[in-house]
Order: sequence, then structure tokens, then C-alpha cells
Amino acid sequence: MSPSHRLVRRLFADYGMLLVLLALGFYYSVVTITTHQPAGADAAQQVASRVQVGERVMIITRDTPEDAAYREELARSLQGRGALVAASIQGEPRDARVALEGLNADGKPLHVITTTTDCAAWTLLKDTATRFPTLGSPRILTPEPYRWPTFLTRQNLLNVANQIAVVAILAVGMTLVILTGGIDLSVGSILALSAVLSTALIQRWGGPNASPGTLWLAGAIAVAGSATVGLLSGVLVAGFKVPSFITTLAVMQVASGLAFIIARGGSIYELPDSFTTLGRGLGALGIPHAVWLMLGLYVGAHLLMTRTVLGRRIQAVGGNPEAARLSGVPVPGVLLFAYAFCGAMAGMGGVVQASQLKSGAPTYGQMYELYAIAAVVVGGTSLSGGEGRVLGTLIGALIIAVIQNGMNLTGVESYQQKIVLGLVILGAVLLDLLKRRGWIRRKTAPPANTR
Amino acid sequence: MPRLGASTSTALRAEYEYEGRKAWNGSPSHPNQKSSLFPPRGPIGLILSTAMKTNRRRFVALSAFAAASAALPAAAADRKSVVGVSLLSLANPFFRDLGDAMRSEAAKYGLEVNVVSGDFDAARQRNQVSDFIVRKVAAIVLSPCDSKAVGTAIAEANRAGIPVFTVDIASLGGGKVVSHVATDNLGGGHLAGQAMIEALGGKGKVAILDHPEIESVLLRTRGFEAELATQRKEKGVTIEVVAKLPGGGAKDKSFKAAEDLLQSHPDLAGIFAINDPSALGAVAALEKAGRLQQVRIVGFDGMPEGRRAIQTGQIYADPVQFPDRIGSTAVQQIRKYLDGDDVKPEILIPTALYRKADADRDPTLKSR
Repeated sequence: MSPSHRLVRRLFADYGMLLVLLALGFYYSVVTITTHQPAGADAAQQVASRVQVGERVMIITRDTPEDAAYREELARSLQGRGALVAASIQGEPRDARVALEGLNADGKPLHVITTTTDCAAWTLLKDTATRFPTLGSPRILTPEPYRWPTFLTRQNLLNVANQIAVVAILAVGMTLVILTGGIDLSVGSILALSAVLSTALIQRWGGPNASPGTLWLAGAIAVAGSATVGLLSGVLVAGFKVPSFITTLAVMQVASGLAFIIARGGSIYELPDSFTTLGRGLGALGIPHAVWLMLGLYVGAHLLMTRTVLGRRIQAVGGNPEAARLSGVPVPGVLLFAYAFCGAMAGMGGVVQASQLKSGAPTYGQMYELYAIAAVVVGGTSLSGGEGRVLGTLIGALIIAVIQNGMNLTGVESYQQKIVLGLVILGAVLLDLLKRRGWIRRKTAPPANTR
Repeated sequence: MPRLGASTSTALRAEYEYEGRKAWNGSPSHPNQKSSLFPPRGPIGLILSTAMKTNRRRFVALSAFAAASAALPAAAADRKSVVGVSLLSLANPFFRDLGDAMRSEAAKYGLEVNVVSGDFDAARQRNQVSDFIVRKVAAIVLSPCDSKAVGTAIAEANRAGIPVFTVDIASLGGGKVVSHVATDNLGGGHLAGQAMIEALGGKGKVAILDHPEIESVLLRTRGFEAELATQRKEKGVTIEVVAKLPGGGAKDKSFKAAEDLLQSHPDLAGIFAINDPSALGAVAALEKAGRLQQVRIVGFDGMPEGRRAIQTGQIYADPVQFPDRIGSTAVQQIRKYLDGDDVKPEILIPTALYRKADADRDPTLKSR
């Protein structure tokens, strides 16, 4: 076996779900192939080249940055070709109608309407011949469309990453807790608490005029507060041996109640525009800050789990707490860390969520604990603890995001979406069970793994 | 090559599991052998590998198809205009009717409607909107899960040049909404007031089961009280509102609130409940107290369960909403917009009073 072959084998053995993610991506690429239109200057030159010298032309575009470049270049090229631009519209169908009526009243013929595919879909432009008779019947020119999967557009892939960022951040913390053999049901409520706490602090310290320093401080306090709530769960689980399911169920109620009290039942929304930088602003390479944050946290957590003593101890505690204790692992300390870390991640998710929506409400994060658990399980981490990988969780979260996004793109309606998501989670858990019972085994004993 | 992640725990667990597995199926396996998905073995593996072989052929076919369709130049007209709709919840029959009406109205104009449920989750709704934007839909219709937080999603659609319409619930979060279509809740409140006057013969003490957190409910109670006030002045009606209790708009909470009302006001003659679940909660409380004959209830909505209660006389009347009309009107607004016509920024759909006589004629209640 060649080294590269072995590497690929190991990648898929360790991250088998990666294959599922790629297959899903391929599937949705095929089914979302549709017509797209080129934008900007190139498209404009292409359209202008189809206009004859001396023709009267109207330009219709929407008032968006994407259309602006197209419109400007189109006007330039048309003039260069010796065509006459009778009117140039940037706006809504109504604006185009008013302009067309004006031209119609002039009584001169209009030969060409140059526009975009999106505007050509306006019903206004479907029967110009009957509605504006003195114009003659102008040809409608749009950029020559090409076929491309909507799923595989840059904007959509960024959408997928941005949409899952919050759940994926929760799932980092959840992975650690599940690796210790526990579960944390409180992350959704802690997310809401953190969103409400950070926005309430910002509102108190200046509202819409709050300074960037204030925003950082409010976010940091919210994350620290969330970590404290997580620590509380950790104390109950580690110190009093209360089952984590019960502990975090109770903490979930407490955190949710606190969030409602802080927000006085409503939502907090008078925030500075700069607050949305974290959730919606674009960072390096045009990738949103929230996605960078998510990636950073995953890399950090991956290094923690694979390169540090603490990471090994977390796995040891989940694998067999008694054996871990006997071999000198400080079990309570490890548990405290895992729950506090999970709380902090939920807090981070809350700040990002509040930033994305530019408001904080106690209703945020409902059911998110289940999405986070689903991401962890789909990512191959065993619910019985001790076995799993942080990067697997990222793949699990992306699988969920791709399925949701793909179903939205293909127009699947909400009921069916729920069924599909449920089946995917069920399938992942079944796989996990089969793996652990040894029904699916490696063909050859791997020499690479023997110690 | 030892794995970096291989840890004391893996070794500990391997031993532990090994014992367990031996006990479980009796087959010896190497303690260090970690179970894994690829490549699989055993009966499952056989099925998987057969499936993968057949899939490989299909895979090639699919790739060829993808390459072919990517290369094909397409006509601009083959894309049907889609309207993306995200509603508050599809668990509520009100929004189901609204969505269905949009779909059938849009079919008349050759538009396609894609309805998804926001499930009361502002973040989920925002994601749905960004997916609509990627699909370059012709228009977006929302009933906001959070009137404030929806502003960011609307602003995003605005930037992409896609018109946004709202139904039933208005946006208070900024961004440009072309048109808002909703029930005339204030007018509905007036109708509820008229129904109450009619039911009580113009005199007696009434209470309101309220849910003041919701803007539309505020309008209902305001209309109700305004109607009583004007009739008091003009026609000598002597109905007075003696209590306003929060019923949460839900059956259980309204049940408890109505029980409290019956305790504190033994001479209560009427209850105005701001929606059908609250009215049904009040019905349950009256039944328990044996006072269904003395206290008349006016509800709101005209949901099937509420209309059935009107048929049996438990509820006197409901101002009914017309979600189907809201839906079809919204689609007509979209069509007007795309046609370049002027669109009204707000359209209110009036309610109508629904009494026992209407219930007796109602074909949807006949089967019972």
C-alpha cells in the first residue's frame, strides 16, 4: 500500500462522515444546476455587442451594488457603439413602468431594452408591445446565461458555513462533554442567556452609541457568565455525582428563566450597527468573522484534544472513569473543565447569534442543544463517551447545514425537512451502535495502529 | 505509525471493551483493533460493498450528466419565478390556510410558491431568507418570528434587490417592506364588542382574557373597549369591563384565569377572550363551575374547534379572520409589484362575525 493510499484510507476511516458530506455536496450540486447570469462589466460588453448602431436603448436594472457595475459599463459601451441611451433605470418595477410611460408619451420608437435576467422576469416586461404601443416592440436583451449549480456558488457556500456557525460553536463544547460520557442539555438556554446578557449590557452602557470597547467587554462578560453557569453544572456532576442529564435539564430551566428576567420577556434591540460586525461582517478572504471564529475554535479544540495531557484525560474519563481515576487522572477537575468549556462555547454562540440578528431575545436557542448533539453524533462521537473527534463534529455540523440548505434550495417544504433530518440523525446513531458492537469491522488488522 | 491521538484512555478502553465484547458475542477480537466504517466486513460489509459497486456506475453517469448540463447553454426563460415564503409556524392551521391560499393564487399567475416554517425561531428564519436570496427568488413573504430581529434579514434581501412583503405580523426592525397584509384587528375588536352587546342585551359585567404582549391582541382589546364606550354614549349600553386578566392566549392559562374571574365576580355576565384557545379555556372553567348558561363568551379567530363550540352554543360568537384572503391578497400585491403598479404599504383584511346560525350553515362542520 502506497503512503498516499494509506493516508486516504486513514482519513476516511477516521472521518468516514467526510465521504457522506462530499456525497451530499455532489448530490445538491447536481440537483441545483440552473441558469445563472454573468454580472458586471463583461456581461455588459456582451449585451452591448448585440445592439446595432443608432438604436434607441433603455437600460433597466435594480438598485443593488451588483447591478451598478453592469449598468455603468453598459451605458459606456452603448455610447461607444453609437447607440442612443434613452433612459437608464435603477430601481423597482414601478420606476421602470413610469419611465416606459414617459418614453411612450414621447412617441419615438424604442428598439432595445437591455436588462438583467432577474428584471426580465418582471411581468411588466412581458407585454411591452400592448402596454406601451408607441414604443413598437423593443427587443429585450439580457446577458447570455450559463448553467451552474446554485449550491456551488461562493455566496451559498459561505451561507452554509455562516448558518451553521452558531450550532457548530455549541457543538465544540458539546463534543468535550459527550467525550467525558456526559451530556449538556443547557447549551440552548445558555445561548439565550448570553445573547440577552450581552445585549442588555450594551444597552445599559450606551445603547446605539456604545463604543467598540464596550461591545468587547459586554461580550466577554456574557461568555464568562456562561462559563460560570457551565461550571455550576460541572460541580453538580463531578462533586455530587448527579447524572448530567438531570443536572443540565435543571440548569436549562434556570438559565432560560434568567434570560427571560433580564430581557423582561421581550427582546433587546437598540444596539449599535457595529455590533453586527462579529456575526455578519466579512473578515479575511471575504469569509464572515463568525466562520473564522468557528474554524479557530475547532482548530484550538482539536489541538487541545490531540496534543495536550488534558485532552487525553478527557478521553480517559469518558472511556472508563474508574480506570482513569486509578491511573491518577483527576476526574472531577476534568469534568469541571469540560462543562465550563461547554458553557463558554454556548456563551460565545449566544454573542454571535445576537450579533447576527442585531438583537437579543430569551427565545433564542430553543432546540439548539439537540442540533448540537446531532452534530456531535453525526460526526462520529459515541454517546457513551471516550470515543470521538472534534473535527468529526465539524463535519457533522456541516452535514446538517448542507442538508438544510440543500432542501431550502430545492424547495423542499418544512415537514419533509424534519423527516429527512430526523432520519439522518437516526442513521448516524445506528452506525455508531453497529460500530461499537463490532458488526462493521476493518478488513485487515491495521499495522499502523499497533503499539 | 502511532497515532497522535492514541492515548492512555484508548488502551484502557480497549481492554475494558474487549472483555465486554467477548462476553457479548463470544468471538475473540484483537484488543487494539478499533472498529471502523471503512472498509467494512461481514454481512453488512457485503451489502455495503455491493451497493458501492452499483453506485460507482451511477456515480459516473451522474458526473457525465453534471458535466453535460453545465456545458449546455440555456434559454433565459426556462426559470419559473419563485416566491419564497417563511411563516411563523406551520403547526397553526391559520398559517397553513394562509400558505395554501398563496399557492393556489400564485398558480393563476404562473408563479411558484415555496413555503417554509420559521418555527418561532428568528435565526432559522434568517437562514431561510438567506437561502431565498441565493436562489434569487422574485419576492420574499415573511410573517416574522421576531418583529425586531427580522430587520437584519429584510435588510439583506433589500441589498440583493429582492422585494419583501409581510403577512399577519408586521416588522418593527427596519428594512424596507413593500406591503404588509394582515387582519384588521381593531375592526375585529369592534365587532367583538357588538357581539357582546347583542349577547347580553346591552347590560352586565364583562371581563377580558388578555394577552397584551402581542401587538395584534392589543388592537383587539382596544377595539372591543372602544366599541363599548361609543355604544355607552350613543345607545345607553351599560356594559362595564370589571377585569382584564392575562390568559396567555392559551387554553390552560386562560382556564385558570377564568376560574379566578368566576371566584372574584360571582355576577359576571360575559367574557371576551382574545383568541379561540383562550375562549375554549374559559368554556372549560364555566363548565366546571356549572355556569355556562349564565356567562356568555365572545372569542376571536374562528378556528375549527372554536366554530364547533359556537355551533354547540358554548361560545356566543367569533369575529373570524380570513387567512386565505390574507394569503391571496399578498400574492396579488406581489403581482402588482412585478407589474410595475403602485402597491399600498398596508392592507387590512376585515373580519366578520360568526354566530350559531353561521355554524349551522358551515359545510366544514356538517360531518360532526
